[in-house]
Amino acid sequence: MILLQSHSRFLLQTLLNRVQNLEKAVEVDYNWVEFDDVRYHVQVSMKNPHLFLLSVSLPIPSADTVFCGGLPSGAIEAIKAAYGVLVQILDPPRDGFNLTLKLNLSKLPHDEDNRHTTLVKVASIREVVLGAPLRVILKQLGSRIIGSDVNRLVALVHRPKESFFLVPQAEKVIVVYPMRFKDSIDIALATSFLQEFVEARRSSGLNSAPPCSWSPSPPQELKGAPNDALSANAGFVTFVIFPRHVEGKKIDRVIWSLSTFHAYVSYHVKCSEGFMHTRMRRRVESLIQALDRAKPDVIDTGKKANSRSFKRLDSDGNAG
Amino acid sequence: MANALRLYLSCIRNTLEAAMCLQNFPCQEVERHNKPEVELKTSSELILNPILICRNESEKCLIETSINSLRISLKVKQTDELENILTKKFLRFLSMRAEAFQVLRRKPVQGYDISFLITNYHCEELQKQKLIDFIVQFMEDIDKEISELKMSVNTRGRLVATEFLKQFI
Repeated sequence: MILLQSHSRFLLQTLLNRVQNLEKAVEVDYNWVEFDDVRYHVQVSMKNPHLFLLSVSLPIPSADTVFCGGLPSGAIEAIKAAYGVLVQILDPPRDGFNLTLKLNLSKLPHDEDNRHTTLVKVASIREVVLGAPLRVILKQLGSRIIGSDVNRLVALVHRPKESFFLVPQAEKVIVVYPMRFKDSIDIALATSFLQEFVEARRSSGLNSAPPCSWSPSPPQELKGAPNDALSANAGFVTFVIFPRHVEGKKIDRVIWSLSTFHAYVSYHVKCSEGFMHTRMRRRVESLIQALDRAKPDVIDTGKKANSRSFKRLDSDGNAG
Repeated sequence: MANALRLYLSCIRNTLEAAMCLQNFPCQEVERHNKPEVELKTSSELILNPILICRNESEKCLIETSINSLRISLKVKQTDELENILTKKFLRFLSMRAEAFQVLRRKPVQGYDISFLITNYHCEELQKQKLIDFIVQFMEDIDKEISELKMSVNTRGRLVATEFLKQFI
């Protein structure tokens, strides 16, 4: 798996399980956490087995990101547009969560394929909610509507207490990610990965991909940003998104990959660390073998004659 | 380039062959103790002159000899930040497994990346020629491993970036 998938696999599995055994009433109460501190909770009660309560908790936004009513702006509209009559938003949400949805599983489409796509869509709730403000801006770009917030810096949450920034302009949207990592090895690997983004963009096959740049210091676009956003130990990545990048069906994929860019890089940094460990282990083994070769051959001292440590007794009790 | 490396390694090999001439020697200060003199440096008459073999500023090998022990310290070339991190990580990984290597020192000598400590007991247990082979192979392997690790990081980075950017096309 190179790209991160937008649906939560466990949520999809739970939903599929539920739908297949709809007439069987079971108690379901699951809690789990995904990357970037997104928590889920699902509940199904014995009384109403076709009602599925799904709660989502989002990462805590930093001070400069605006959440209205605990959700990113435009999230409610996005949920309504994505799911229609299938879900009902409960207000207030469950304690400790930002959003609770009531799914009515009996309202799912009846043919198999359609139902599966709908369930995948439900499992991608994270993309819908967290990507809502991004979707608004990219939609405006796609249809070339000049919104009210041209040239204004928009901060969107993507990790706990961290945001990335958008600068919507008439013909393009500039996306800036301050990249922060905890570990010094992570920083070094991520930095080299990010430089590869710039290099890869130059290759011939990717001429029409969004221009990408990396710099260790904050780019000009972040002029108005608060001070704590301007420190990033792995530098700043900038993508310039043009209308051609958000045409048609591509927009969903683009929203997902832009809102999880940090997770994507971090995931691959961790993967390559794991790979390095496997390699190093193998190398240690081969070096130990090389050292073992230095040991003079141990001469076998008549071990074979008495290789069994115990003697079998047959049924009479005599040694066999 | 490969030739220069071979010269460097063969110089180390020859020096080690001459230096690895160790004998059992009990401690002069404490009765019934037998310690590697190169570590303790209690009496100067037991220590020989250290030899420093340099390929360039960032790649060198220090061989310190005493009557009953020998210490080899290596500095591995690190041209950039990534190589530096990879070297550190790899050598730390090795040092943590020093037990398995017998001759590896748990901590490198100051200013070096990794050190070996060979005592007369090692020389008795192991064949001298093979032990030297091991040290030289170790040096070759480290260089190879680090450059391969670096390459794999870069290849992966390129692949990851290409896949990400492809989504926009």
